[in-house]
Amino acid sequence: MDWLTPSSLLYWSIIIYLTAAIVAIFFYRHPHLCTLFAQSGCIFASALGAASALKMILFDQETLIITPFESTVPFISISMTLDALSAFFILILSILVCCVSLYSIGYLKHYYNKRNVSAFHALYIGFILSMIFVFTAGNAVFFFIAWEIMTVISYFLVVFESEDVNEKAGLIYIVMTHIGAAFLMIAFMIMFVYTKSFDIFGSSEAIPATAKSLMFVFFLIGFGVKAGVVPVHVWLPYAHPAAPSNVSALMSGIMIKTAIYGLIRFILCYLNVHNTWWGILILCIGIVSAILGVAYALMEHNIKRLLAFHSVENIGIILIGLGISFVAFSQGNGILGGLAISASLLHTFNHTLFKGGLFLGAGSIQYATHTKDIEKLGGLIKKMPVTAVMVLCFSLAISAIVPFNGFVSEWLTYQSLFSIIIPGQTGINIISILAAAALAMSGALAAACFVKLFGISFLGKARSECALNAAEVPASMNTGMGILALFCLVIGLFPVFFLKVVDKVVFSISGTTVIGELQGGFLIAWYPINVSGNAITPSAIFIASAVIILATAALIRLVGGKVSERKYGTWDCGFRELTPRMQYTATGFSKPLRIVLRILYKPGRMLETEKGDSSYFPLSKKYRVWTEPVFEKYVYDPFLTAVKRFSLRIKLSVQTGSTHAYLVYIFAAVLVLMLYNRLA
Amino acid sequence: MVNVEYLIVQIIVVIMAAPLVNGIIKKTKALSQKRKGAPVLQLYYDLFKLFKKSTVVSDTTSWIFKAAPYIVFTASLVASLLVPVTTMIDSVWYAGDLILMVYLFALGRFFMMLAGLDAASTFGGMGSSREAMISSLIEPSILVTLMTVGLTAKSTSSYQIMEFMKGVDAPLIRPVYLLTFIALLIITIAETARIPVDDPSTHLELTMVHEAMLLEYSGRSLALMELGASIKQLTFITLLANIFIPHDQFIFISGAGAVLISILIYLIKVIFVSILIAVAEVSTVKLRLFSIPNLAALAFILSFIGFMQHFVLGR
Repeated sequence: MDWLTPSSLLYWSIIIYLTAAIVAIFFYRHPHLCTLFAQSGCIFASALGAASALKMILFDQETLIITPFESTVPFISISMTLDALSAFFILILSILVCCVSLYSIGYLKHYYNKRNVSAFHALYIGFILSMIFVFTAGNAVFFFIAWEIMTVISYFLVVFESEDVNEKAGLIYIVMTHIGAAFLMIAFMIMFVYTKSFDIFGSSEAIPATAKSLMFVFFLIGFGVKAGVVPVHVWLPYAHPAAPSNVSALMSGIMIKTAIYGLIRFILCYLNVHNTWWGILILCIGIVSAILGVAYALMEHNIKRLLAFHSVENIGIILIGLGISFVAFSQGNGILGGLAISASLLHTFNHTLFKGGLFLGAGSIQYATHTKDIEKLGGLIKKMPVTAVMVLCFSLAISAIVPFNGFVSEWLTYQSLFSIIIPGQTGINIISILAAAALAMSGALAAACFVKLFGISFLGKARSECALNAAEVPASMNTGMGILALFCLVIGLFPVFFLKVVDKVVFSISGTTVIGELQGGFLIAWYPINVSGNAITPSAIFIASAVIILATAALIRLVGGKVSERKYGTWDCGFRELTPRMQYTATGFSKPLRIVLRILYKPGRMLETEKGDSSYFPLSKKYRVWTEPVFEKYVYDPFLTAVKRFSLRIKLSVQTGSTHAYLVYIFAAVLVLMLYNRLA
Repeated sequence: MVNVEYLIVQIIVVIMAAPLVNGIIKKTKALSQKRKGAPVLQLYYDLFKLFKKSTVVSDTTSWIFKAAPYIVFTASLVASLLVPVTTMIDSVWYAGDLILMVYLFALGRFFMMLAGLDAASTFGGMGSSREAMISSLIEPSILVTLMTVGLTAKSTSSYQIMEFMKGVDAPLIRPVYLLTFIALLIITIAETARIPVDDPSTHLELTMVHEAMLLEYSGRSLALMELGASIKQLTFITLLANIFIPHDQFIFISGAGAVLISILIYLIKVIFVSILIAVAEVSTVKLRLFSIPNLAALAFILSFIGFMQHFVLGR
C-alpha cells in the first residue's frame, strides 16, 4: 500500500492541518463550529503524524527525502527530509498536539465573542506546521525560514490576549529569539563558506576544526536562546504566562525542544563531536540551568511563571544528558554516548508530556477561577477533583518521583553520569559528580516547588472568592490532560517499550544500540531497565506497593478491629475558629529556601505600620516581601544601558543627519567593495 | 523470579527491628541523663494501642490526608526492601537500586508534606515548608555519598555494593569510606528528624519539623506514619551497618543457620549504630533552622572530598 508510507502519511497530515486552518477561517462567524472543525482536524492530522513517525522509527530506517517544491532560485527549495530523529520529534509533537487540541475545544470557550477565535486557529495550526517543517527541513535555508516562521507565529500567539504586559512579553521574546537567530545565521554562513552547500545531511569534512568550534558556539547560543538556558532564559517567564494556556503547553512542551533537535541535528549529526570541551560546556550549562531554573521557580507565585522556570530546569536536565553523550562520543565511547543521549531524548519526551499537562492544568485553574496567582487559591481539590488528580500526577512526574516517567529518564541520566566517572580523569569526574548533585538538588527543589503549587492551590481552605466559586472544567479539557497523565504513568511503569523507540532513534544517530545494555523482557520480568548490572523494575515496585497497601489495610483491620472515624475541626490551639488567612501561604512556604538561597534572589522586605493612639495598638500593618530579578537587574540592565549609551554616541557622531557625511559613507563603501572585489 | 524467601525475611526483620531503634536511642538518652527512661519496647506498645484507637479527621482535609499514611508507610517499606539486612540470601537487586530508594523516600516525603498542608493548619504548613528546605539541602549529599560508595563497587545496587564490601578488609580505615561513613551518618540524622536537625521529643512550634506535619494525625494513621518514619530510619542505619561494617564474610556455615546468625550480627550492628546516633544526639544541641545548611554542606563536602580522594587524586 503506497498510501501508508511514512512520507505519504505525513503529507496527508499536513494537508489536513491546512484544510482545518482554511475551514476555521471560513467559519469565522461561528466560533463554536470553527473551534470544533479546526481542533478535530488537528486531532486527526496529529494522529496521522504520529502514525507516520512511529512507522518511520520502527520499520523504515532509511532517510526519506520529500521535495515538493524545487525553485529556480539557487539554494531555495522546500526540501523535507524524514529520518528517525525527525520522526521522533514529530511523534512527540503529534502526541502533544492531539491532547492539546482536545483540551482546546473546551478551553477556547471563554474566548468566544471576545477575541477572533478563527484567527487563533489559523495561527495555532500555522505554529504546528512550522514546527513540523523545522523538524523535517533538509537544508539550512529552509530550516531557517521555518524557524523564523515558527518564531513569528508564536509571537502573535503570545500577544493574542493582548494587554500591555503581554506586549512587553512579546517584545522580549521576539528580541531574544532574534538574537539567537542571528547566531544561527552566522553558523549557516560559515557552513556554506566551507562546504558550498546548505545540505544538512551533507558532510562537514571540509570545515576546518577551528571553524567547527566557532560554529558549535554559535549553534549553542542560537539554540540556547530558544531552549531558554541560563543566562538567556529571561524571555521564558514573560512569554509563557502571557500566552493562552494551550499555546504555553505547545511552546513549553515542544517549541523549546526544537532547540534540542537543532543541537542534536547540527552538532552531533552534522558537525560530529570532536572536542571534549563541547560536551563539558553543555554539561556546565545544563547544571547551571537545572539548579537556577528550579530555584527561581520556587519564588514564583504565578502558576505559569513558575512552570516557565521549570522549563529552564528541565532543559538543564536534558542538556546534562546531552553533555555526557557529547563527552562520551568525543572519547569514542559509543555505548555510553548512546545511553546518555537516550536518557536525554527520553527526558525530552517526558518533559513534553508532563509540562504540556501542567500548563493545561494551569489553564484549567485559570478557566475555573480566573486567576493565575496561587496565593488566591486553595481547596480546589474539592471543587475540581479530576483536575486535581491529574495535576498531582504531573507534579509527581516532574519531581522525578516513582512510579512516573520523570524518574525513569533521570535514573538513566544518573546511570550515564555514573558510567562516565573513571578513576584518573580530573575535569570530567568533578563535573559529573557535581552534575549528579545538581540533579539531586533540582529534583528535591522541584518536589518542594510542586508541593507548594499543589498544596497551596488544591489543598486547605479557599483563600479568595474566586477559589470558592470554582467548578470542574468541561470534560474535553480533562480528557486532553488525562491522556497525557496516562502516558506519564505508562512510561513510568513500562519504560522499556518506549526506550526501544528511543533506541531506534539513537541507532540512526550514532550507529550504536543501547538496548543490549538496557535488558528487559516481556511481562514476566516486568520491564526492568538494566544498565550494566544496575537495575530498576518500576512495575514490580508498583505491584509490590499495591500488595503492601492492601496487606497493611487488612492487617490493621485484623489487629485493631473496626474503629470509628470522627470528623472535627482542625486543631486551633483552643482559640477561635481558624480562618483561611491563617493558613500557610506560598510566600511563607518558600521562605526558608528564600533565606537559605538568598544570594540568588536578593530578597527584601518592608514593614509599614500605621500608628494608633498607643504604640502597642497599631491601626494597620503592611508587610511586603519581594525578590529581585537578579539576571535582568545585574546582567541585562547594565548591558542594555551600555548599548543605549553606545547607540546614542553613534547617533551623535556618525548618524549626524548631514547629507554630505552620508555621501562620504556611500563613497567609502563603494571603494571598499571595489577593493574587496579586486583582491578576492 | 522474585525471591520470596528474601522478601519474607526482609519484611519481617525490618518491621520488627524498626521500632526497636527508637527504643534504644531513647533508652540511651535517658541513661545518659541519669533517668530510667521508657522501656525499650515502648514504641511497639504505642503502635499497638494506636492501631486500636479511633481516629479524628479534620473536616477540611481531602483524600490526600487519608491516603498519605499508607503511601508513606508503603514507600518506606518498599525502599527498605532494596537494602538487604543480610547478603546471605540473594536479594531482589534487579528490582531497584539506591537511586530508586532515594526517590521512594522522596515519594513518601512528597505526600507527607502535602498532608501537612491539607488540614489548613499553620503548624502543618510550617512543618512542610521546613521539611522542603531540609530535604532540598540534604538530597545532593545523599546522592554524592551513595554514588561515591557505589562507584568504588561499580554498582548502584545496595546488594552488589555489600557483596563488594565483603572483599574490602577494614573499610573504615580507608579515607574514602571513612569520609562517606561520616557523611552518611550526618544524612541519617537529618533524614530521620533527629537532633541537631529536628527534635523528635518536643512539640514546640519553634523547633518541630517532622512532628508538625503529623500534628493532625491520630489513631492508625498516626501509627502508620510513625512506623514508616522508623522504617526509613532503620533503612539508613542498615546502609551504614551493612556497607561500612560488612560481616557476612565471617560466616562459614551455609543454609538457614547462616541466615539466622547473619541477622543476629546485623541486629547487633544496628544497636551499635543506634547508640552512635544517640550519643550524637546527646552531645549536641538542636541547631537553629538556618544553621542546617552548614550541616548539609558539611555532609556534602565530606563525601565530595572522599570522591576526590578516590577518583581524582588516586588512592
